[in-house]
Formats: sequence, C-alpha cells, structure tokens
Amino acid sequence: MSRFACVLVEHFDAAAVERCEPALRERPLAILKGLIDDHGSGPGSSSASRIMTTLDANAAAREHGVRPGMTETEARTRCPTLLTRPWVEEYVASARHALLEAALAVSPRIEDGGQGLAYVDTGGLERLIGDPEAIGRRLVHQVRAIGLVPRVGLAASRTAARMAAATGSAAVTVVASGRERAMLAKVPIAALELGPELGATFGRWGVRTLGELAALPREGVAMRLGLPGLRAHDLAVGLDRDPFRPWTPPPFWEEAQGLEWEIDSLGVLAGVLETVLERLCRRLAAVALVADALEIRLGLASGGHHARDVALAYPMSEVKPMLTLAVLDLETHPPPAAVVRVTISAHPIRTQAGQGGLWQPPAPAPRDLVTVLARLSALVGADNLGSPVPIDSHRTDAFTMLAFSPPAEPAPARRRRGDPPQRDAPPRSFIQRGRLALRRMRPARRVQVETAGERPTRVDTRLVLASAGPWRASGEWWDREAWARDEWDVVLGDGALCRLARDRVTGHWYLDGFYD
Amino acid sequence: MDPSLRPIPGEITEIVGGLSSGRTSHLLACLGDVVERGETAALVDSEETFDPESAAHAGIDLRRLLWVRCGGNRELALRAADMLVRCPGFALVALDLGERVPRLPPTMAFRLKFAVRRTDVALLIIGRRRLTGSSAALALETLREVIEWAGPGPAPTRLARVRTTTRVLRARRGETARPPARWWST
Repeated sequence: MSRFACVLVEHFDAAAVERCEPALRERPLAILKGLIDDHGSGPGSSSASRIMTTLDANAAAREHGVRPGMTETEARTRCPTLLTRPWVEEYVASARHALLEAALAVSPRIEDGGQGLAYVDTGGLERLIGDPEAIGRRLVHQVRAIGLVPRVGLAASRTAARMAAATGSAAVTVVASGRERAMLAKVPIAALELGPELGATFGRWGVRTLGELAALPREGVAMRLGLPGLRAHDLAVGLDRDPFRPWTPPPFWEEAQGLEWEIDSLGVLAGVLETVLERLCRRLAAVALVADALEIRLGLASGGHHARDVALAYPMSEVKPMLTLAVLDLETHPPPAAVVRVTISAHPIRTQAGQGGLWQPPAPAPRDLVTVLARLSALVGADNLGSPVPIDSHRTDAFTMLAFSPPAEPAPARRRRGDPPQRDAPPRSFIQRGRLALRRMRPARRVQVETAGERPTRVDTRLVLASAGPWRASGEWWDREAWARDEWDVVLGDGALCRLARDRVTGHWYLDGFYD
Repeated sequence: MDPSLRPIPGEITEIVGGLSSGRTSHLLACLGDVVERGETAALVDSEETFDPESAAHAGIDLRRLLWVRCGGNRELALRAADMLVRCPGFALVALDLGERVPRLPPTMAFRLKFAVRRTDVALLIIGRRRLTGSSAALALETLREVIEWAGPGPAPTRLARVRTTTRVLRARRGETARPPARWWST
C-alpha cells in the first residue's frame, strides 16, 4: 500500500514565472540571472562585467537545446524564438509556498522537499479520497488550481515516489507495493543527487544505476563509505531512513511581483494588483481559507517602501472586492514615487458557511456592501459614514457614529396576544409612529432674538407668531463642560416652526433646527 | 402608515414641501417602516440635518440605518445616492436634499430610474421642490394644517403636535385617493 506521494514540478524557476504570466506556458522560456565576470572585458582590464546566464528553461526551450548554465547569447542562438525573463526571488518563494499549501489541502502531513518538490503522507487518505490513483489525481488538481503543472508519484517510500514522479510518463504514477526496488533499478544513480565525492566514487566503481548500487553488499558499502554510503544504499533499495519533517504553513500568506518597469499610474498598478491578488486568492481558495485583512507593500523607485493595511469589512477570498478596496485605499493614500515591486500579504482565517433564515428579509450581500461602503468612504470621508448612536446624555445633539454593520438576526417579531415578551426586543408601546422630526442645524446657528420678558418676540428680522417655553435643561454641572439652556418652540412669520435655545451660561441665542 | 404613501420598491418617490410642512417626519416614518421589518435602509443627508435623537425616539433601530453625511455638497449627495441604489439589498435609499434642490439633468434622472428598477430598491427623495420629473412614480406634497401646544399653565411650555396633510402630485399607478391628515407628536 502506498504511503507517500511526491509532487514534483519540473523546471521550477521557469514554472514560477509561468505561474505569474500564464501566456508564456506554451512558448520557449529561459530564466536569466546575472553573473559577475571577474575576467573583465579585455586583457589588463580590472573592471568586472555582468553576464546573463540561463538559470532555468521550460520544456519548450529545452526541446531546442537550451540548458541551464548557457549564456543568453548561446541560448538565443539555439532557440531564436526564445523568451527570457529575469530571475525574481519573490516569484519562486511564492510558488514554493503555493505548492506546499496545495499539498496541505489534501493531507495534513506534508514535507518540504525543496524547490518544486513536496512529499505527502497519504496514510489514511484512502478512506477519504479513494485509491492511490485518486489521491494522485486530487493532488494534481490542487496544484493545477494554483497555476503549476505537477507530476505525482505514489510509492511506499519518498525516494521511490520521487523517482516515480520524475520518470513516469503520466501525470500520476503509482508504484505497486513491493515493486519499488524493481522500479528503482533502472534509475541512474545521479538522480539521488549524492555529494560529488560519493558520486565520483560510485562512478569509479562502475555503478551507474540504483539497481547496481542495491546489488552491492550492504556491509561492504558501510565499511568503505560509512554512513553516507549506507544511506545511499538504503535509498537505492527503496528505504527512507531520514525522518519525516512535517511542514506547517507560516502565519502569513504572501504574493509578490517584481516589475521590470516603473509604474506611476494607479490604473496600471491596479492591473498588477489584480494579478497578484488572483494568485493569492487561488491559494486561499485551495485550502478553504478567506482573508480578513490585506497588507500591501509597494517597493518604490526612490528606494523606499509604501505600506498600507487594508481591513476587509468581512472575510473574503474574491479578487474583485479585494481589488476595489485596495485601489480605493491607494487612491486615498497614493504612493509618493513610482512603483517597482508589489507585495501583498493576506491575514487568513477559516470561516464556516451559514444559511440565512427563510423569513429573514434580504440584506445587502457582504461583498456588495463592503464595496459600496468603501466607495462612499472615498467619496464623503470615513467619518461621515455609519450608523448613528445617540449618547446617553441630556446634552442636545449628542451622538456618535459607528461603522455600519446591520445585525444579522431578524427584527423582533410582532407579538401576538399570549406570547411571552422577548427579552431584547423593545416593547411595542415604545415603537411610536408619527413622531415629529427635527431638522438639526449643525452647528447650531447663533441668532439675534428680541424678547418681551423672557419670551422671544423677534428672531433676527422675523416676527415670532407663537411660542412655547422655556423648557429648561442642564447637565454636567459637576464638570468643566457644564451646560444649561432654555429651549423655546416658536412659529416664525414665514410659517417656519423652529426650536430656539438660550444658553444660560453665555446668554446667547441659538437656532437648533426646524421641526419638519 | 397609509399604504398609498409608502415608497414603491423599484421606483422613485418624491416628497416635496416647504419648511415645517412635515416632509422630514414622513421620511422618518418611512425609515421606521422599513427598519421595523428587519430590512436595511440608507439615508443620504446632503445638509446633515438628520436628528438621530428624533429617530431613536420614533423607535427606529439605527443599526439598520446607514447615514451618509455630505456636508452641504449636493453633487456628492447625488453621487452617493447613485452608488447606493446600485447596491442590491437596501430596501430604501432616502435622499434628503433640503431647501436647495439642484437641477438634475434628465439623463441622470433616467439613470436613477433604471438603477432602482434593476435592484428593486425604493428611492425616496425629499426636498423643497421636485427633482426627477416624470421619472418619479409617486410624488407627494406635504402641507401643515394645525399646531397644538402643551403646558400646565395658560402659557404653553412645549410644542405638542402638528397636523399635516398630503397631496398627491403624481401617481403613475392610477388615481390615488387623497390621504387622510396625520398628526405628528413631539
């Protein structure tokens, strides 16, 4: 029974770039890295020059004979249609994390085998997923979902699984139980990637394949080569003595994109942000996670960084609302210089899907709501948006604003006769209709008032037709913010019904607002 | 609330009237009607005149009300209302334009009309005069009739209640009977 799967992505540096630019997948591609040539440009020259050499090439380029280590000129000579991209560390690191997370979506026990290599402990997965073939197909599906093309091998040991993945012709290769040694026998010994000294020794002995190595007497190998030799022998017979080192995901999820050109327009930057967010969201979706916050770090051409934290109003894994929020935030806080690198980190959380009530009235979908709130916030300012909450005070117009978050539970149902009272619902008698509304003036406008006794008779130039008052109020007399006022309801000559207030501390009159 | 005076889902309703004619009280009643059903409402307040205390006294659950303050900028208010009516899920979007109602190009009125039809949001516009012309399905005018005072002595100390009446200026869905007068208490 197979216990390990190996997920292998060949030519990983090229695959990482193809993941960021999927259009390159079918075309010959070489990844270049600059090397310092100490020999200089000529005899007697002490200056070092930079030579671009091929670090990796995809399968299409390799068909034309392009190999790692070639100079760019040599590679282009062999393949005139060759496309080249510089090696970007962030691409490779992101792709490596993405590969491990995709494997983690299938099994909780995985091991980081290096660049483009992940080992998966498949013990117990048969009951969840099915036979080894189905487990392999699931792994292929998960890895393809994050933009990489893998080959998967399943065998009783990690080495056998890796060799099966590397040598198999299909996307999934399963080595039947007990057939590991036979499968490994034809694999060249170089595939074990032993040290150069050990490899040279086996070369001198004429040992070319793992089958020939496995045929050597174990005691003899141990006597001559010590522990490294024994380990090589064990691997050749399909035994893994190395402990399994489980990999756990880091507490951050990050995707990055380096740019070959400088971006100084938010519209163009939005396109790059969308690309990076797409990759990030695919990773999150692969392991059923959502993000509740984003951290955007923009590398600037001036050498500095511009960092923004974007709080997502609800946990999400959709690109569109995330992009809208990110762009709106950057519109409000634009980077001070042209951008040359984009890095986005997500704070992931796990959510549980729920179902709304059958009789619950429809509310704005969280995705739509967060988008419209972000747009409104950019339009009128975050302080001018939200739900008002009156403060428990007798001071006039005392309220605060809270972030708009309508309660998920339905409104208290109408009580029928005989029903017990609901604990949190306001009594029906308090829900009064036909309340006269006041249109507030903010701030209250200071007015000149003529009085007869204390009763107002004229406001600015307008005659007072009728009045009622004073309605005395005061508060916070124990504090520096003490206030005291007399309120009057008056009808003015033009028919307006308004509320006046006389500040008893200063003696000034104010127009609080109009009843309407 | 008289059903014939309720804002119509997927349509534009306008309430016009002078100062102290009862249009804001009518708006408050509409907001309370929506929020009491457990639905969500938004108020775009161009002049920042909304009084949360009045709304709380009317029993409105303010958690279900999104208040957008536009600082006297009516262009912002129109743009904010345009955004909100395009967000499905709001049962009522109210636009309070106050005393100075701007001129609205007919194309903008049609934009709003088709936006509310698509999302089935009821758009309620209140102001001194009408804004959207023939795009509104229902237009009402409020008029004040009577003021009553209260107080223990011969001189009143407080405004007690106001009676207003409503006139239907436009009703696309046929003739509407004249709604009864209504009392609004403080």
